[in-house]
Amino acid sequence: MAEKANPQSALPLLILKTLARGPNHGFGVALHIQNASEGLLTVEEGSLYPALHRLERDKLVSAEWKVTGHARRARYYKLTPAGRKQLRRAVESWDATSRGVARVLRFA
Amino acid sequence: MKSKPDDDDLREEIEAHIAMRADFNRDSGQPAGEALANARRQFGNATLVREEVRRLHVNLFLENLLQDFRYAIRGFLRQPVFTAAALIAAALGIGSTTAVFSVVDRILFRSLPYPHDEQLVSLGMMTPLDSSEFLFAESYFDWRKHQTPFRSVTSFTAGIAECDLTDANPARLSCARVEQNFLPTLGLPPVLGRNFLPQEDIPNGPKVALVSYALWQGRFASDPNMVGRTVPIDGQPVAIVGVLPANFEMPTIARPDFLIPEVLDEGREHNGRLLRVFARLKPGVAIQQAREAMHPLWQRTLATVPRAFQKEVSLALRPLRDRQIHDALGVSWVLFGSVCAVLLIACANIANLLLARSTGRRKEMAVRAALGAARGRLIVQTLSEAVLLGVAGGVAGCGLAWILLRIFIGLAPDAIPRLDQAALDIRVLIFALICSIAAGLLFGMAPAFENPAPGSLTGSRSTGGSRTFLRESLVAAQIAVSLMLLAAAGLLLRSLWKIESVPLGIETEHVLTAEFVLGKQGYTEAARQLQFFDELERRLARTPGITAFAISDSLPPSGVTRARPLVAIQVEGRPPLTDRTGGMITWRYITPGYFATLGIPIVQGRAFQEDDRSAAGSGVILSQTFARRLFPNGDAIGKRIKTEEWYTIIGVAADVRNLGPTRAPEPEYYVVRKPVIDAVFSNQMPPYGWRSAKVAIRTSMKSKVMVDWLKRDLAELDPALPVKLGTMHERVGKLIDRPRFNALLLGMFAGMGVLLASIGLYGVMAFLVGQRTQEIGVRMALGATPQAIVKLILRRASLWAGSGVMAGLAGAVLATRAIRAMLFEVPADDPWTLAASVIILLAIALAAAWTPSLRASRIDPMTALRHE
Repeated sequence: MAEKANPQSALPLLILKTLARGPNHGFGVALHIQNASEGLLTVEEGSLYPALHRLERDKLVSAEWKVTGHARRARYYKLTPAGRKQLRRAVESWDATSRGVARVLRFA
Repeated sequence: MKSKPDDDDLREEIEAHIAMRADFNRDSGQPAGEALANARRQFGNATLVREEVRRLHVNLFLENLLQDFRYAIRGFLRQPVFTAAALIAAALGIGSTTAVFSVVDRILFRSLPYPHDEQLVSLGMMTPLDSSEFLFAESYFDWRKHQTPFRSVTSFTAGIAECDLTDANPARLSCARVEQNFLPTLGLPPVLGRNFLPQEDIPNGPKVALVSYALWQGRFASDPNMVGRTVPIDGQPVAIVGVLPANFEMPTIARPDFLIPEVLDEGREHNGRLLRVFARLKPGVAIQQAREAMHPLWQRTLATVPRAFQKEVSLALRPLRDRQIHDALGVSWVLFGSVCAVLLIACANIANLLLARSTGRRKEMAVRAALGAARGRLIVQTLSEAVLLGVAGGVAGCGLAWILLRIFIGLAPDAIPRLDQAALDIRVLIFALICSIAAGLLFGMAPAFENPAPGSLTGSRSTGGSRTFLRESLVAAQIAVSLMLLAAAGLLLRSLWKIESVPLGIETEHVLTAEFVLGKQGYTEAARQLQFFDELERRLARTPGITAFAISDSLPPSGVTRARPLVAIQVEGRPPLTDRTGGMITWRYITPGYFATLGIPIVQGRAFQEDDRSAAGSGVILSQTFARRLFPNGDAIGKRIKTEEWYTIIGVAADVRNLGPTRAPEPEYYVVRKPVIDAVFSNQMPPYGWRSAKVAIRTSMKSKVMVDWLKRDLAELDPALPVKLGTMHERVGKLIDRPRFNALLLGMFAGMGVLLASIGLYGVMAFLVGQRTQEIGVRMALGATPQAIVKLILRRASLWAGSGVMAGLAGAVLATRAIRAMLFEVPADDPWTLAASVIILLAIALAAAWTPSLRASRIDPMTALRHE
């Protein structure tokens, strides 16, 4: 049975990648991860916030209140230059890791 | 933390999320009633999320640190060998630093036990008579009355006299005679009772005393009614008016049992009691200003000094600390500096261990970086591991420090002032903690700032060129610092050896000494004193096993001796000195057996005989130095000199180095003790006068047996007389306490440094061999011989050891300059010591590199290559 992968450990990376497309609010990020992974990755929506706030604290993203298209007030997150750099680094190493893991899995 | 969203913000953000999800759910066709409930369920526990976010901001730092520490402990426990090695290095470094700090802290840093101790000064006249300043009472009255820079001036009578507690269980104690304003000037009120009243510090005033805390606690069993109690001191009832604070000490560091009023009598102090004078500066007055302000008074005092002395006396006005530590300052800094060098070596060592360990953890770090761990977070983690290691090492180090401190004190309790007081108290422990954390940060620096490159995830082989450079230079630095320590220790050991081989001029083997002071009570009469010594002489002469004995007022080496300025000694037929004092001439008051007992040869003329002790006898014996000084032509015998009275020179004795092997022999002369009442001698206060005596005995028997006999003899003469027994060997040994202490301590530190450095070198070489296994395998496969491989590794080791030695040599030339004052007949740039240090260090370094190089030569090429 195909289990849905739990992306907790890669969450910061996923958030950064999502925000690289442009500023978004928490719900938007959750939606995007779900859609982009074609439903394979489901983010537990609440757990997004500690991750977002941690990134904000580490100055990898910045946040401001804005009004959405549906006329709701939401907190929009945006990548900072540091975040962009971190994203680049993290993607590279993630690629390397996953290639490595995949190779090992294939080998066994 | 900037722009920290408050709780309301967060609540609103979450509500907005749920509302948007509900909108989305509705849009995708869920019934309006369920859409919101589903949205809430999909979000999960909002309270928990809020909690987690809040924690993130509030004590994230602490939390992370705690997490790091837990993680670090797990990591350390997994690698027990690494951990033990690092802990031992840290404990050695921090432990020895802490132990030395606890010793030098009292000298260099810790404030004296007086409030505002920086305002306290010692003042007086510096003369060749004494190593510390003093003032004659007459001048003191003048200064006290007319001084301006001090808030108050106080004094005590020089020499803390022995006094007897003459109750049912008599005891010999010490009494300091202090002025009424002594305690207020120092700023120390009694803990119980009160200070002396002005009307108690006058001639014929009531007899009162303050008792020391220790005596009150011990002898008087903390008697709550101590104040108001009357105790007999020297046979006189004295009322106790107060108890001194527990930490009370005289400005000279002495801790007397009683303070009694000084009773200065302005009208009658003409023949000059010697006073130690102390003062508290007015706020804002600097020492230099005070010195200038005292100048007119000093000029007045100078005018009262005999002309001959005027050039050789000076005004002394210095901080109390300077007076107390004398010459221990330089030694303290040298010891502290060298122990800090050991700490640095230990840090470099641990840094290397951590670097080796971090090589194994590069992948772990890279993964963590890949998963979004910020670089700063990883640095903090590495540093916190290092600090944890440092603190753990510090705890172990405190144990080591405790042991080392016992050893230091055991080595030479008098080598350094206040050494006996050194202890691991809270202040020292705080120092140890700071030291541990600082050391941890220092050695954690190297691995922490290595950037974990993402590339290290893929590659299995790390070339790490810059990394081995760092490691090898750390080893080179350790070797350099070790060489400096080794050179300094070598110089001190050579000096010690030279000092020990200087003949003192006396034969110390088989000589016992006994020192005592007859109590005031019972020996006030000169006749009674004489009777005691007559009887003692008779008994000693009768005791079997005593081949020679002497009773004297002082014994070499050191100790307090009588001395007389040369200006006060007249040679028959020559004009007296007038323009200078000519320095102090030591003299002793001895029985005829003195020279035989101490093995001092008579080089000219004869020793004293019994006839010289008749009332008419007037023989004197000079030391060689003194005789040469007075009679350069060697014709001293038969000449006459006058001190108090006229003497005829009957003999010249070989020189004795009274001040110890490092000092030239002092000019000396000897006068024989006569069994004749002499009011001058019998009334003098100890340590002079008849009541104070030192006995030396040359024996052919075991000293233990002889000591028992001696004790019994003296007890039969006076059962209440406290006697200090010892051997001449011990007395002489004490003289070189300081150089021995310095040499042994520095030797110990150098040993630690060399040991750590060689372990470090071994570690790096072993690591290098491990890293280059494949390369070596290839070389061997291509035909390299094992010898070539050994050479390859050793060449690498000697390259770094060699550069360490070069740097160390340069450092040693500078460092040994700092200890020049501590050396004896060895130049600070002694080439032999330097050469020996270099050879020892290189030999040890090569030995350390030997095993790894052998291991390299035994690498099997097949295994090595398959390893890939």
